Amino acid sequence: MDQKQNVLRLPAEQLYAHELEALKAADKDNVKPTGWQLSPKAVLTFITGGEAGKTVITPKYIGNKRLVEMAIATLLTDRALLLIGEPGTAKSWLSENLTAAIHGDSSKVVQGTAGTSEEHVRYSWNYALLLAQGPSDQALIRSPILRAMEGGGIARFEEISRCAFEVQDALISILSEKTISIPELGREVPAERGFSIIATANTRDRGVNEMSAALKRRFNILVLPAPSSLDTEIDIVRRRVSEISASYELRSSQPDDESVRKVVTIFRELRNGLTLDGKEKVKSPSGVISTAEAISLLTGSMALAGSFGTGELSDDDIAAGLQGAIVKDDTKDQQVWKEYLDNIMKKRGASWRSLYNACTEMNG
Amino acid sequence: MAKPIQRLHGDERLSDGPHYFGVRHLSPAGSYHLLALLQEVKPTAVLIEGPSDAGILAEQLTARGVIPPVAMLAYTDRLPVRTLLYPFAEYSPEYQALQWARWNDCQAEFIDLPTEVSLALADVKYDWKPVNDESSQEQPERSVDLYSRIAELSGEPDYEAYWERHFEHHLQTDTYNNAIRHYAEEMRALTEGDEQRLTPRAYAYNEIREAYMRRKIQETIAAGHKPDRIVVVSGAHHTSALSLELPEMTDAELKKLPRVPAKMTLMPYSYYKLSSHSGYGAGNQAPAYFTLLWQCMKQGKMDELPALYLSKVAAQMREQGTWRSTASVIEAVRLADALASMHDGVQPTWKDLRDAATVLFGFGEFSVVAESLARVDIGTTIGSLPEGVSQTPVQDDLNRELKRLKLEKYKTLVAAGLELDLRENRRVKSEEAAYLDLNRSVFLHRLEALGIRFTRKQRVSQTDATWAEHWVLQWSPEAEIETVESTLKGETVELAAAYVIHEELLACSNIADAAKLIRKSCECGLPQVMGQATSSLQALAVDAGSFEQIAETVHELSVLLQYGSIRRIETETLVPILQQLFLRGALMLQDAAGCNDDAAAGMLTAIHAMDAAAGEHHQELDGQLWMTKLKELAERDDRNAKLSGYAFSIVLERNEDGEEDCAREVSRRLSPGIPADIGSGWFEGMSMRNRYALLSRDYLWQQLDAYVQSLEAEPFKRSLVFLRRAFGGFEPREKAAIAELLGDLWGTGAEDTGAALQQPLNEEEKEQLDELNDFDFGDL
Repeated sequence: MDQKQNVLRLPAEQLYAHELEALKAADKDNVKPTGWQLSPKAVLTFITGGEAGKTVITPKYIGNKRLVEMAIATLLTDRALLLIGEPGTAKSWLSENLTAAIHGDSSKVVQGTAGTSEEHVRYSWNYALLLAQGPSDQALIRSPILRAMEGGGIARFEEISRCAFEVQDALISILSEKTISIPELGREVPAERGFSIIATANTRDRGVNEMSAALKRRFNILVLPAPSSLDTEIDIVRRRVSEISASYELRSSQPDDESVRKVVTIFRELRNGLTLDGKEKVKSPSGVISTAEAISLLTGSMALAGSFGTGELSDDDIAAGLQGAIVKDDTKDQQVWKEYLDNIMKKRGASWRSLYNACTEMNG
Repeated sequence: MAKPIQRLHGDERLSDGPHYFGVRHLSPAGSYHLLALLQEVKPTAVLIEGPSDAGILAEQLTARGVIPPVAMLAYTDRLPVRTLLYPFAEYSPEYQALQWARWNDCQAEFIDLPTEVSLALADVKYDWKPVNDESSQEQPERSVDLYSRIAELSGEPDYEAYWERHFEHHLQTDTYNNAIRHYAEEMRALTEGDEQRLTPRAYAYNEIREAYMRRKIQETIAAGHKPDRIVVVSGAHHTSALSLELPEMTDAELKKLPRVPAKMTLMPYSYYKLSSHSGYGAGNQAPAYFTLLWQCMKQGKMDELPALYLSKVAAQMREQGTWRSTASVIEAVRLADALASMHDGVQPTWKDLRDAATVLFGFGEFSVVAESLARVDIGTTIGSLPEGVSQTPVQDDLNRELKRLKLEKYKTLVAAGLELDLRENRRVKSEEAAYLDLNRSVFLHRLEALGIRFTRKQRVSQTDATWAEHWVLQWSPEAEIETVESTLKGETVELAAAYVIHEELLACSNIADAAKLIRKSCECGLPQVMGQATSSLQALAVDAGSFEQIAETVHELSVLLQYGSIRRIETETLVPILQQLFLRGALMLQDAAGCNDDAAAGMLTAIHAMDAAAGEHHQELDGQLWMTKLKELAERDDRNAKLSGYAFSIVLERNEDGEEDCAREVSRRLSPGIPADIGSGWFEGMSMRNRYALLSRDYLWQQLDAYVQSLEAEPFKRSLVFLRRAFGGFEPREKAAIAELLGDLWGTGAEDTGAALQQPLNEEEKEQLDELNDFDFGDL
């Protein structure tokens, strides 16, 4: 247990172990697809929340149940799933939790970067052993994908669009033929039933490659939208903030509902370039203003308050967080933020006054 | 998860009473099970929820050649016009019941309130006032809320998906019948209290309808049909209220119902309209999809539906240039099946199929597939009615006219051009044939007046075209529907057009519009309306005080007078008005000409129109007065210079002024001391008319030449500025002509001078010109 608590961030299957146990118990009599530890409906409950026996299942992905249904249905058909969306739309979060619920092990991950090579996707060799013994099973280093194929599990491929085309291409034949051939050993590793891949990709970021049509065709693609309504987004932010702060021991009080609402309101308005009532246009800053940023902003502010402040989350702490989240490209963003403060926030009346003052002071 | 089908057992139908069958309108499964029930019961009478005064229309609905979607339209023939629409698709249970009755020797009848009553109640029904504000806020949310609650409880994305999954996909008739009845009863029990409280009028209206339907059922039994050989088809909501244990409407009550005179007709309908009028109770957001569902259901191939639908979507995308492979279709079907299985469904719903298409064909983006989906879901199908089957009088008339005028072949979906020559064709014998094109033109103009999108008039290059017209004709379902709608305006195309123009006339408040209406009624061959329009023009003319409007009217009337004969319309009555207006216009010219340059543009057109009319109708109009007024304007310095110049050019053109006058005028207008913009404005106005008329008058150029040569250096520079501006509008060809003219004048030979003057400027000259741009007018 000690070891577990020292980990910065637990994988989903450990974080929600009791929920998964409860679901498994309640799900005993339902038919499960080969290789799945839960029935599709139980997976849906795990992601979107509900009850299993007496255990409350917390919602992991809020706001778009249909999308989750489609994701699960995709995995039911043994197709690979590709989640794409703007940064901070919970792609990885959803992929991890889906894997945890279906397969029970979300650790088989390829983390895509510009430096990811084909070996990371297929297999590589322990060269010392290779030189000593020649090609052998012992010398073979299996990629997460190869391991998932052998075990009939789900491999995750993060940030697939950051990989070079050649590396992306390596996936094409794996996905259509569901085997990896290892000519050095003279054999083929066929995928066991239950194998699938959940990949994620960013649509709007620097250093992102286009994906080839051939690869796209081999995935069922779901586009994750930004949360549709203010209340959904507030809900998401509040849940995640309380979960994260619990595991990080931030020693600060939870942000009150009003602060969360303010932060989410500011984020939505800057993201959409429009005030919530649709009456005024707002300039958007250069960076992406995602829900995930709102979450990390609030936890960051809590850390500030806990470590250097009173332990109560004050408007000053939030202002510091907002400044960091919104003003990324110095002068331009600073201007945008200042305009927003003076044109919109200043006119919002007394309840926004102290946050406005704190922000203005911070923005200089 | 709500699963009514499994929850309900047993046939609770009274064994000796009529068979009640509750449907959702436009539901394929409803049709399917209804047909099964009819086959089993073999009724002698089928009673259907629908206007009981439809009479012959109900029979005609099933006539040979009727292709759904069609609709019954009921309307009041007096103001305010109220309409009721009953659309039928092929898969409408009501339509299938009528069909079955026709081919199985069974009496079919509509039993709902006659339209004269329901139209009379239409206003009353919605005109309720909430008891207090709180309830009015509560009301609109409630029913929406209820349906989304159902969807939520059943785990479906929306109510339509719930309905389709639980009612449209099950093919065991008994279960369906019981399920829908229980569902409707419980829904009714759940909502009735609220409805009574919140929308008492709507509730009462339903009560009246149901009492009336019970009465009709009793009447059918009294007429000798055995109760158990009667099938009653109604909206599921009403089924429980049609039980004969409840009291029927009495004669006295029936008499008390309000009535308005109403008429009914059949009209072709389109899937597009069907889908855009969707709402609760319709289930028809995707008529083409439901047709597909119905066809698969009939053939017992429901399991082929997903593949069929998705292939159609893929084919549609390919047609639009987006390639999607068969492999994608296969995967889409698999995904849709997986989605269905997650809901314990028998097969994918429309929503599942659409979502699968979005993922597989759109790569997650709905916008990519939206258009193809719309084509496959809604489609462009339109219904049609054979000729002779009840059509509105207007439709009949339209078809008759098309035949008479030999235009039938243009009634297609393909656009075709039609050139008309309105003049009498002297090579044919009958009068009908001689004026065929004229009659066609009249007819097409009438359609245009009615806003029926069958005709588009193209511009003919010669404006105010006289005998030639160019039309583009293209039939469309919308045109058919618009035709039916014009029934509300009159019984024939002619009457309806007359009505429309008459309405416009009543709304018309200035003489120019009135004159246009006169012209329109003339084009539409409606002498009587033209008379009315003429008298309203006369009435309006008394107060008319705008020169431009008067000129426009004069122009319209003048065109009519010139070409009225070609349309064989009596136009003599227009002459007095024309004279009256022309006189007023001539007298107003001076005052109106005192305007700024912005207004002058409109004035130029107006003066031109007046002048043209004066020329055309020199016998009727006082041309002499007009010329006097023009001369006056030409000489006055205090009016808009452009207009004065324009007037002068007219005077010049008519040779009313001689060489001397011209010489005097030019030097006066361009003399030193005259501000440059006024001088150039005058010249501009003058050159705006017929430039050839200017070019052909040598003495004008002599004057100009003499004037320029007489100038000292400084005034020369000044006049150069505005002359340059005035000649800026001349075309190169015209400039060349001027250059040649000057060559003649100077005796240096036309061509040489022309070539010399037309040479591009060299650097030095350019510089000098640039200096001129900085010319200081401060001393003026």
